[in-house]
Amino acid sequence: MEIPPPAIPPSAAPCLIEVSGLTKLYGDFPAVTDLSFSVRAGEVIGLVGPNGAGKTTTLRCLAGIIPPTRGLVQICGHGMGRDPIEAKRRLAFFPDEPRLFDYLTVAQHLTFTARIYNLPHYEETARALLEELEIADKADKLPGELSRGMKQKLAIACGFLHAPSAIFFDEPLTGLDPLGIRRMKDSIVKRAAAGAAILISSHLLHLLEEVCSHVLILKDGRKIIDGTMDEVRGKFSEAASGANLEEVFFRATGENKGP
Amino acid sequence: MGRALLYLEWHSRWNRLRARLQRLRQPKYLFGAVVGGLYFYWYVFGALRGRAGPGRTPPMPALEHPALVESLAALVLLVVLLLMWIIPHERAALLFTEAEVAFLFPAPVGRRALIHFKLLKSQAAILFSALFMTLIGRWGGGNYGLRVIGWWGLLSIINLHLLGSSFARTLLLDRGISNWRRRLFFLGGAGLAAAAVILWARQALPAPPDFSSAPDLSALAGYAGQVFQSGPLPWLLAPFRLAVAPLFAANARQLCLAFGPVLGIIGLHYCWVIRSNVAFEEASVELSQKFADRIAAMRSGNWQAMSKPRKSKRPPFLLRPEGWPAAAIFWKNLISAGQFFTGRAWFFLLWITVIAGIILRSAGRHSGGGAALAILAVTLGVMSLLYGPAILRYDFRQDLRVADVLKLYPMPGWQVVLGEILAPAAILAAAQWALLLLAFLLCPASVGGAPAPMGLRIAATLSAALVLPCVDFIALLLPNAAALIFPAWVQLGKDAPRGFETMGQQLILMFGQIIVLTLSMLPAALAGAVAYLIAWWLFGKVMAVAVVSCALAAVLLLAAEAALGVFLLGKAFERFDWSEDSPE
Repeated sequence: MEIPPPAIPPSAAPCLIEVSGLTKLYGDFPAVTDLSFSVRAGEVIGLVGPNGAGKTTTLRCLAGIIPPTRGLVQICGHGMGRDPIEAKRRLAFFPDEPRLFDYLTVAQHLTFTARIYNLPHYEETARALLEELEIADKADKLPGELSRGMKQKLAIACGFLHAPSAIFFDEPLTGLDPLGIRRMKDSIVKRAAAGAAILISSHLLHLLEEVCSHVLILKDGRKIIDGTMDEVRGKFSEAASGANLEEVFFRATGENKGP
Repeated sequence: MGRALLYLEWHSRWNRLRARLQRLRQPKYLFGAVVGGLYFYWYVFGALRGRAGPGRTPPMPALEHPALVESLAALVLLVVLLLMWIIPHERAALLFTEAEVAFLFPAPVGRRALIHFKLLKSQAAILFSALFMTLIGRWGGGNYGLRVIGWWGLLSIINLHLLGSSFARTLLLDRGISNWRRRLFFLGGAGLAAAAVILWARQALPAPPDFSSAPDLSALAGYAGQVFQSGPLPWLLAPFRLAVAPLFAANARQLCLAFGPVLGIIGLHYCWVIRSNVAFEEASVELSQKFADRIAAMRSGNWQAMSKPRKSKRPPFLLRPEGWPAAAIFWKNLISAGQFFTGRAWFFLLWITVIAGIILRSAGRHSGGGAALAILAVTLGVMSLLYGPAILRYDFRQDLRVADVLKLYPMPGWQVVLGEILAPAAILAAAQWALLLLAFLLCPASVGGAPAPMGLRIAATLSAALVLPCVDFIALLLPNAAALIFPAWVQLGKDAPRGFETMGQQLILMFGQIIVLTLSMLPAALAGAVAYLIAWWLFGKVMAVAVVSCALAAVLLLAAEAALGVFLLGKAFERFDWSEDSPE
C-alpha cells in the first residue's frame, strides 16, 4: 500500500525549526555557508545533496552537537545558542549509525533516557514504543546481542520517548529490512501528522519523494533551493508534474547522471 | 601474487609513515614527537653513552657463568616451545586485519601466499623485538649488532614454531586427537624427561650442598652446571642450545659459526609451515573480528569488553525517572564498571573488611603482623590515588566516543561532567574507605614508639576518609580535562594515533597532570596547616581535634577547587567539538 505523502500544512502552523545564516567552518574550510530555512509543524523536509555537501554537519549543528561558527538556530522558539537546554528538550536526532551504550540493556536505555529528560510516567510510552518497533521481547538484551536494524529501532525508541517536536534523521533507512523501511516511513509520516517538524537527510531520493512535503538541496555547503516538492520540480523541470526528484537533483546540483 | 602482497605491505607502511610525518606539521604532534624522541634517546642511547663516556658505546658486561646461562636459555626455549603444544586449544588462525580479510580472502590468493604475507609482516615486529631485547638485555660480552642478529634468529624460530605448531594441532584435531589427549602426551613426555633428569642427578651426582647456608649463589651455580653438562639434559637441550647459541657469540666469527645451524632450523621450520595443508581461513576471519573488537574496546576505554563476553549487569540502584539528570550518567557508568560495583557488593566488602580486620588484629597482636598489614593498607590507599584515576576510566575517556549522544542531552555541561566523574570517584573512594577501615582496625596503640590513642586513630581515619574523595575527584578531573581539551592527545575512539609523538604526548599529559594535581593540593595543605595550628591552640592542644580541623579546612578548599573544575570543564564540554580534531 502506498503511503500518502504528508499534506502541506497551512502557513499558520507554528515554525518549529528556524535556521538563519548558519555557517560552519572546519579551520578555513567552509562545510556550511550562510544557510537559512525554516520547518513548520507537520512539515517533512528532505535534505539532499552530493557527498560532502554539508548535510550531516547541518544536522549536527541543528541538534546542538557541534557549535556553528556563525548563525542562529531556534528549536520551538528556543535559541540553541542562548537556551540550549530547552531547545534540546524538544528535539531528537538520529544519526546514521545508532549510538548506544554497550553495557545498558534495551530497558535500561529507556530508563536512562527517561531520567535524562525527566519523564515521570515514561513506562507506558516506552512499552508502546517497544511494541510499535517490535523489540518488546528484547528488553533485557544488550546492544551487542541485537542486529543492526534492532539497534536502530532502540535508538528510535529512546529518541521518541520524550515526544520531540523537532526531529532530525540522518540516513534513517540504513540497515533496515523492507518491513523496517515501511514502518520507518509510516512512523515519520505519523509523527509529522501529530505536529512534529521533521528534517531528513538521505541519498534515497525515492524515499524522500514518498515522505517529504518539502525539499532542500545543498551543494558545497550552500543552499541551492528549498520549497515544496512541486515548487522545486517547477524550478528545475520543464514538465513540472512529470519529473521525479532524482531528475530534479541532477539538474539542481549539476551532477552528471551518467549513462 | 607475491608482488601484489609486497606492494600492499610496502605501501601500507610507507603511507603510515608519511601520514605520521605529515601530522608533525601540527604543533601538538611535533611537540609530542620531540618529547617522545628525547625520552627514547635518553632512555636507550643516552644511558648507553653515559656509561661509556661521550661518543662511545660500552661493551656488554661479561657473564660469570656463560655455559650455565646458555643452558638455562636453552631450557627456557624448550619450555616456551613446549607450552605452544600444551596451552592453546583453538584451531590454527592467522591474524589479519579486517581490511586484509576483506581484500585477500575472496581474492585468487593461495593459502601459501597468505602464509608468506603473514611471515613477511611478522618480520617488522621481529626486528623491532630483536632491537628492543638487545637494548634491555645488555649482558654476555659481544656487541650490539651481533646480538640483534642472534635475537632475530631466535625470535624467527619461535614465530615459525608458533605457526607450525598451530597447524599441527589443527591437523591432530582433524584426525580425532582431542586437545586433552595431545596435552596429556606432551605433559607426559615432559614429565618423563624431568623425572629421568632428576633420577640421574640423584644417582650419578654427589648430594647437592646446603644452599641455605651458602654465602652466595656459586654453590648453586656449580651444582646446576653439573646437571646441565652431564647426563641426559645436554642431549635433550642440544637443539635448543643451537638456537640460542648466536646470542652468546662474542665476535663475528663465533656468530657465523653459530648462525649456520640456526639458519638450518629456520629452514626446516619454514618447510614445515609451508607444507602444512591446514585450512585456517575461517578461524582467521573470526580471530581478526575478535581482535578488531578488542582493539576498539580497549581504545575506547572499555577494558572489560576486551577480556570477556558481555552480559547484562544488575543496576547498582533503582533509577527513578524523575530527579537530577546527572544521576542517570552516574548510574550508567556504575553499570559499565561491572557487577562488583553494586550496593550489595560493597556491603559484603565492608563486612569482610571488618571481620578480616578483627581476626588479623587478634592474630597479629604479638607478632606485629597487624601493624605491618595496617601499613600495607595505607600504602595501597596512597598508591590508589596515583593509579586509580588511570585504571578507572568509566568517565569521558569511555564516553567521548558517544559524545554526539551526550551533547544531545538537555543538561548543562557541568552536570554532564559531574555525572561522568562521579562513578570512578565513588568506586575509588569506596575502595579507599575499605583500606582505611582495615588500617584503623589493625593500627596498634603505638606507632613507632609514639602513642596512638583511640581518639587520635578515629580522628585520623575520619579525616582521611573526608579528604581522600576530594583528592580522588580532582585527580579524576585532570585526565577528563585532558580528554576534553586535547582529545587528539588521549586514547579515544577507534583510530587512536601511535608512535613517538603519541608517547611524547602521553608523557607531557602525565607530567602535566602530576604538576596540576600537586599545585591544586597546595592551597588545601596550606589551609589545613593553618586550621591545625588554630585548633591546636584553641582547643587545648588536643591532637585529634586539630587533625579533624585540618581535614575540614582542606576538604573545604578541595571541594571549592573541584566545583570550579567541574564548572570550567562543563564549559569546555559545551564548546567541545570533536569534529575539529577529526573532520568527517
